[in-house]
Amino acid sequence: MLDEILAVGNTRANLARKSSIMIRIPSLVVLAIAAMVSVGQARDLTVVGFGGGFQENARKHLFQGFAASSGQPVKDDVYDGEQARIAAMVKTRDVTWDVVMVEAPEMIRGCEDGLYEKIDWTVVNRGKFIPNGTATCGAGAVGWGVALFYDTKRIGNGPMTYAQLWDTKMWPGKRLLRNSAKTTLEIALLADGVSRTDLYKILATKVGQDRAFAKLDAIKPDLMWWKSGAQPLQLVGSGDVAFAVGFVGRTARAAQDGAAYKLLWQTLLFSFDFWTVVKGSPNTPQAMKLIDYMTDAGPLRDLAKDWAVSPATAAVAQDPAVRAKNPAMVAEHAEEGVFIDTEFWVQYGDDLERRFAAWVAR
Amino acid sequence: MRPPSRGWLLSLPALALVGFALLLPLGLMLVTAVRDPEMATALPRSAALLRAWDGTGLPDEAVFAALGAELPLAADGQFIGGVAGRLNFERAGMRSLLLRTARARPAAPFSMALPALDPQWADPAVWHVLRRASLGVTPLYLLRSLDLDVAADGSVQALPSDQSVFLALFARSFAIAITVTVVCLLIGYPVAQAIAGMTRRWSQMALALVLIPFWISILVRTTAWFIVLQRDGPANGLLQWIGLIDTPMQLMFTRFAVLLAMVHVLLPFVILPLVVVMRRIDPAFLRAAASLGAPHWRRFVSIYLPLTLPGIGAGALIVFMLATGFYITPALLGGPGDQMVSASIADYVNVTLNWGMAAAISLWLLLGTGILVGATALIVPMRRWR
Amino acid sequence: MKTLLRLYAIVVLLFLLAPLIVVLPLSFSANEMMSLPVRDMSWRWYRDFFADDHWRMASRNSLLVGLATMVLATSLGTLAAIGIRLGGRQARVVLTLLCLPIVVPSVIAGLAIYLVFAQLGLVNTLAGLVLAHSVLALPYVVLTVHASLRDFDPQLLRAAASLGAKPAMTLRSIVLPLLAPAIGAGAIFAFTISFDELIVALFIAGPEQFTLPRQMLASAREYLSPTLAVAAVLVSVASLLLLGLYAVLQRGR
Repeated sequence: MLDEILAVGNTRANLARKSSIMIRIPSLVVLAIAAMVSVGQARDLTVVGFGGGFQENARKHLFQGFAASSGQPVKDDVYDGEQARIAAMVKTRDVTWDVVMVEAPEMIRGCEDGLYEKIDWTVVNRGKFIPNGTATCGAGAVGWGVALFYDTKRIGNGPMTYAQLWDTKMWPGKRLLRNSAKTTLEIALLADGVSRTDLYKILATKVGQDRAFAKLDAIKPDLMWWKSGAQPLQLVGSGDVAFAVGFVGRTARAAQDGAAYKLLWQTLLFSFDFWTVVKGSPNTPQAMKLIDYMTDAGPLRDLAKDWAVSPATAAVAQDPAVRAKNPAMVAEHAEEGVFIDTEFWVQYGDDLERRFAAWVAR
Repeated sequence: MRPPSRGWLLSLPALALVGFALLLPLGLMLVTAVRDPEMATALPRSAALLRAWDGTGLPDEAVFAALGAELPLAADGQFIGGVAGRLNFERAGMRSLLLRTARARPAAPFSMALPALDPQWADPAVWHVLRRASLGVTPLYLLRSLDLDVAADGSVQALPSDQSVFLALFARSFAIAITVTVVCLLIGYPVAQAIAGMTRRWSQMALALVLIPFWISILVRTTAWFIVLQRDGPANGLLQWIGLIDTPMQLMFTRFAVLLAMVHVLLPFVILPLVVVMRRIDPAFLRAAASLGAPHWRRFVSIYLPLTLPGIGAGALIVFMLATGFYITPALLGGPGDQMVSASIADYVNVTLNWGMAAAISLWLLLGTGILVGATALIVPMRRWR
Repeated sequence: MKTLLRLYAIVVLLFLLAPLIVVLPLSFSANEMMSLPVRDMSWRWYRDFFADDHWRMASRNSLLVGLATMVLATSLGTLAAIGIRLGGRQARVVLTLLCLPIVVPSVIAGLAIYLVFAQLGLVNTLAGLVLAHSVLALPYVVLTVHASLRDFDPQLLRAAASLGAKPAMTLRSIVLPLLAPAIGAGAIFAFTISFDELIVALFIAGPEQFTLPRQMLASAREYLSPTLAVAAVLVSVASLLLLGLYAVLQRGR
């Protein structure tokens, strides 16, 4: 074995065999060590979301607003909703995030699994939320949704429904969906002609699940999967995918800013995100205060001036002035869309996500 | 200096580093692939009783009672997740069974209360899953990463096809790696021949041109292809300008893009060792063969090619080994059907948080690569190349 | 025949360089378009690169980790190579062990290191990254220095010892000066390995420890702009400067 290893190494090392510089090692040791020591210090209160335009505006109005009013510096970070990152922090007791935005079913399961602290309702005012806007470990943040869109510069008349999205002869090209069973299986059944009211009843049966996967099988070579919310916009923009089902907030904003995107609100699937506190966060008391601030009507009204936010705070969500100004609010399209069933995904999420991941990888 | 035999002690600090940051991790990975601590951690009394259970029929009231008492505790303390996820991995539906039972807070007699709550508690298969999870060591991850499963009677059987994925994934990874290796050899061999036949000055220049991309980060080269292959990118622009195509082609997210970029990245690894062996070939051999009347192809097949075999072996070995571990290039340039097994190792860490599966897949990948590399080493005499 | 072969070789060599040549003009694009030919040239994206906090932090991290890796891997590797040269039967085993990082696929090394470092709190630290990169760079330093030691005459050491020189003095005044070129080569190699490394960083580096390759990956996935081309060009230039350093010094020898 040694010979083989050496052969590999020598090929690389051949490059460097003959040269002649001597580097001042001692001074560099001092420099590097000093620099590294200076890096490790106590960290600021850290809030994590899904990025994009919402987070940019939330940084200004919610995070920095809290920092200004409390004198406590707030830093923010981005993730793609992977619960594994949080589970790894909790498991290794190296918690580097404090407040995290989590989708509803993941929040409930994470609560059962001990990934999140119970919300301290003596700090966060529970009375200000819309119905179902709170849970043991989560305080309602904002509504979100995904819907079909495409670039009208490249495609004149695109599909109007999920059933039409499956017509790859009429509309060739890659279709980009979210890399999760949640939303994808709903879309497959809707494309197969299942009505919105029957959707979760059918998806709860083995037959219904098989039917959804069979529908996906039909166009598998044309399907692509996104993980981060920025990908649909980027890939539709570059033309490398023809159609995408992406976060509506960003798509609507891009269209408003001049991109030729056609966003089909009738294909909306929506739900709510929740603010949570990571279990074992050293900043838990501050984190609860931050959550209370971020769900107050005042800061949210300011945020709504810059971004079409659909908060779970009743006073703002039901404010006609806010709604009139923000046609891209998810709540404005609730009638035409499908509400993603939290209870369903709490119960079936683990099994369906695993089957979905195996199906994608195969 | 000390007597020579003790000189190797100077290597101790380096050995310590390798031991700490590579051997220890690899060892722990081996352990992680078979460790099974969740049940014993979250439900210690139940696990102890289940270990003692003989496995016939249903366990007795004591086991039911231990579980009935421990499940609500684990749920209240928010530490039921680990064991729920572990059991659900072995048998679908276990997670919700556990959580529902915990929430219901069953009372004695538990052997009546639990089956009344959910008939699954009267199914011996459920209890066998619990018992196997109590042992502390499991072959589950190693089996699952080969699409195998433990049946209710403890025998090993294949997973149903709608759950199997890894055999296909391993096959795809090795197929991509072998394709890349063969293409690299076919493209690289004549190039190495040309470089070896040049005068010293020219061959040095040519080698420098091979070395320049070799020195530049794999990611930079992959990123370059990522930019070049886009729909509105330079490659489509060039093809349209030549007139080969009218409308832009789908180049990104295809197997072709993955193979192209991988060949591009790995080509220098075959050219370099080939040039080294080719330069060492004494032209007198070939002249002698020519004077004996051997035609050109004959001289190549029976003299030149065998003499370059060590270089071919070394180059192929390096390319194959590096190619099987590729992860970023398929992730950036390929579609879902072009992902390699390395991607699922990363997914099990970053998305699913199942370290046991990640470790088990890694072990099989390491073993598979090792066997193929060992086989190559047996066929091709590497020593001569060195 | 020979001309044909050479023409072919030139074509392949161009293929090896092509994507890098293409990316260079794109980095000077005046707008967001990433297509050729680039009509208006500008430094816009270079200014963006140096003004962006993410890219600045990634550059800083890459340099820092690269230098620290270089120091650690070069010092340990040089010592080990000398030891192997002096050592008896164990030397071969030691050399094999030290070269293991070359043959372990990087994803597996990344996972294994993550599993241990996660327990020790070394994940999401620059120190953890330096340790991991050092182990990956170590074999190249050892092999480079070991190769130049093959021509080294151990009689010199015995002569020094017989003249009463202490081991440390022998090392400082005889061994190291003779090895200086090889140590320098190993050092550059170690730096390059760390500077290019992505997979292990993917497992153990948090956003605060993003290196240039890690940031490039994030950028390719999230938001494609010519800034990515700028990063590719700058990283390539840095790599080529290191390569150039060899060429010049080699000629000087």
